[in-house]
Amino acid sequence: MKINLSRISQLFFLALFFFLFVTTDYRGKDEISVALNSFFRADALVLVSYLLSAKTFTILLLPGLLVFLSSMVLGRFFCGWMCPLGTILDLLAKRIHRSRPLAFLKGRLKYYLLFTLLFGALFNMNLTGLLDPMGILTRFMTFSFYPLFGYLGKEGWVGLYRLLGDSRDYLEPGYDFLKSYLLPFRDTFYPLAFVSLLFFLGVVALERFERRNWCRNLCPLGTLLGLLGRFSPFRRLPARLCADCGDCRTTCPTTFDEEVFQKADCIRCLDCQRKCASGRVSFRLSLKRGKEALFSPGRRVFVTGLVSGLFVAHAFAPKTAARETRLLRPPGVGDECEFLTKCVRCGECMKVCLRSALYPASLQAGLYGLYTPTLVPRLGYCEYNCSLCGQVCPTGAIPRLPLEQKKKAVIGRAVVDKNQCLPYARKMNCMVCEEHCPIPDKAIRFESVEEADYNGKKVVLKRPYVVDDLCNGCGICEYVCPLEEKAGIEVFKKTKRKL
Amino acid sequence: MNRRDFIKVSVLLVLMNRLLTRDLWAKETPVVAVAEGPDYGAVARSAVNALGGIGRFVKAGNTVVVKPNMGWDRRPEQAATTHPLVVKAIVEECLKAGAKRVKVFDNPCNDARRSYENSGIPAALKGLRNVEVKFMDEERYKKVNLKGTFLKEWDLYSEALSADVFINAPIAKHHSLTGLTLGLKNVMGIMGGDRGFIHRQIEDALSDVNSVVKSHLVVIDATRILTAHGPTGGSLRDVKVLNKVIASADIVAADAYATGLFGLKPQDIPITVTAHKRGLGEMNLDKVKVVKA
Repeated sequence: MKINLSRISQLFFLALFFFLFVTTDYRGKDEISVALNSFFRADALVLVSYLLSAKTFTILLLPGLLVFLSSMVLGRFFCGWMCPLGTILDLLAKRIHRSRPLAFLKGRLKYYLLFTLLFGALFNMNLTGLLDPMGILTRFMTFSFYPLFGYLGKEGWVGLYRLLGDSRDYLEPGYDFLKSYLLPFRDTFYPLAFVSLLFFLGVVALERFERRNWCRNLCPLGTLLGLLGRFSPFRRLPARLCADCGDCRTTCPTTFDEEVFQKADCIRCLDCQRKCASGRVSFRLSLKRGKEALFSPGRRVFVTGLVSGLFVAHAFAPKTAARETRLLRPPGVGDECEFLTKCVRCGECMKVCLRSALYPASLQAGLYGLYTPTLVPRLGYCEYNCSLCGQVCPTGAIPRLPLEQKKKAVIGRAVVDKNQCLPYARKMNCMVCEEHCPIPDKAIRFESVEEADYNGKKVVLKRPYVVDDLCNGCGICEYVCPLEEKAGIEVFKKTKRKL
Repeated sequence: MNRRDFIKVSVLLVLMNRLLTRDLWAKETPVVAVAEGPDYGAVARSAVNALGGIGRFVKAGNTVVVKPNMGWDRRPEQAATTHPLVVKAIVEECLKAGAKRVKVFDNPCNDARRSYENSGIPAALKGLRNVEVKFMDEERYKKVNLKGTFLKEWDLYSEALSADVFINAPIAKHHSLTGLTLGLKNVMGIMGGDRGFIHRQIEDALSDVNSVVKSHLVVIDATRILTAHGPTGGSLRDVKVLNKVIASADIVAADAYATGLFGLKPQDIPITVTAHKRGLGEMNLDKVKVVKA
């Protein structure tokens, strides 16, 4: 039997994906050397939508450019050799019984989808990450699978303690291994976990109708690579099903909907060549253009994409509402609109965030901001000496800042609520916020005031106040505020007001 | 009352008085040992040796908990955490005395991974046998009936409660609410739950906990102290290098002595005062024997 090179490559990249997923975390060093962002940086769709929406290039996406260019030579090899989502679908292929292909997915639907997304990006509405295959898989892993996996692991371990007490210590080395290399350190649950699960399950469920249904009929990355693949000088021979055999119709996972070989759909897995009984199939280099036209998706697709892109851009357009003052962005993010044009919504910053400060926005950032990271100080805070989110961001939407600069990057500003804060509202001492404030000169300070408390007893109250110029809005004060209800100190985003 | 009765009653009274106050009479003067020098490991060792050596506290086969301050994501030179060399010296002494196991942990305010890592303590203890530096597990906290004046009950760490010997190894530093944070406050690291809550009446809360969890030995790291912007610090401007380590079996006496390093008096620190009033130790330095090692 011939070695299945594409499958070996697929398994390698899938393992790499999981490996990078797990390593995208704090590992005792301030710097992360390799992270999951490699997959997004090599993502041609991320590249193209970034170019269109941010209207500039970043060196971070150089690997994406390489994939882009090599796809023009090799075709959609990415889909058949590298894409982790595609590999998962291939691995599940044998276990799923298929009914008939869905007719409405056929035709030019995928082109309409891709062009809508790309024109949307051109009008500053970069939503491609939502349907990017790596995005779908990473979000499913980050928000749904991994927290649940960690929860089960931890609860099991705690359960053992209830059962065995301190003699559980004998099992400790095994658990330590799991904990260091596999389980998440934090037990954080995320909003949108269910939606992320549905996205992923939806892609898997599509397999019920056809092999690689998502990849051949919907995936915007695959569609884009397919368009590039049309330039490929490698030609499959024979260019149609053989009259005497036709096995390729079932062997091929993506292409043979019709008699004729569809170059834009071929994922170059080379299964047909490997399995052909008579050894007829080959992929040949020929610079001569054959009968196949250099396909353009058609004027209609183009125009419809333009119109619906415009529609999408305006229908989802961000509104500058008052609630945005609580829409805190990761450190270093300046302009909200610029951030939104660059953010892939891959979820890596949230995966890596040490203190569970970042969560995916559901609707608070508008439909447009779905899955973008937002800091929720009541649930976690930005660790002063940590700059990991900027290091794993694949597009630099969260800029990679040197630590000293990151410490000064303003996320927002803390504001004391005197109606809540203990020394003001209840004349009791507290000062937990001041104690935790990480700024060396303290952005939270206090004044000592002697007053009679509500029982008439003289007390010296230490009342906190915020030094605006020093506060970077890391949110630790709001996080640790011991009030059970609303916090007595809260972080708000500074927004430029137009009157 | 005739003379005979008078004598009888007098003798009885004297005897009773003697009996009732015997504990006071028998009580030794608390000793505080102070050592100074540039080699922090050696300094810590000589401070402990001046008390009579670690063998006074740790017996062969004991399980020992050494509780340093690893509460913040800061580096040793920033003086917010106990110096790794001081911790290492204590741990090595315990092992020499035959400790079966030495456990080192803290419940940090910042991210536990970063706080442990940057304190330098896990790295300093790496490779020592029978020593574990682990993160604290939520399930190991036990609700303890403190019957205190402020805290009736609280979650305390079972490994600290069950240890044969509890060695308290704080760093001496400034604290905005309590003036200073020393041995009595370092015990907060074995408390679970919403620790911010106890700030409302922190002196009483800490006395409540220290009455139940006794520090058999207190080793205060004053090799460098944080003089302002504590307990987090972060700026080297606030750090003063003293090259000193203080050791005592009396937690209040140790704290009281360390207070002097900041130019303060023991009675300036409400935590010390409350603990003294509640009989946890001696804060009057006139009644304390200070040994320079």
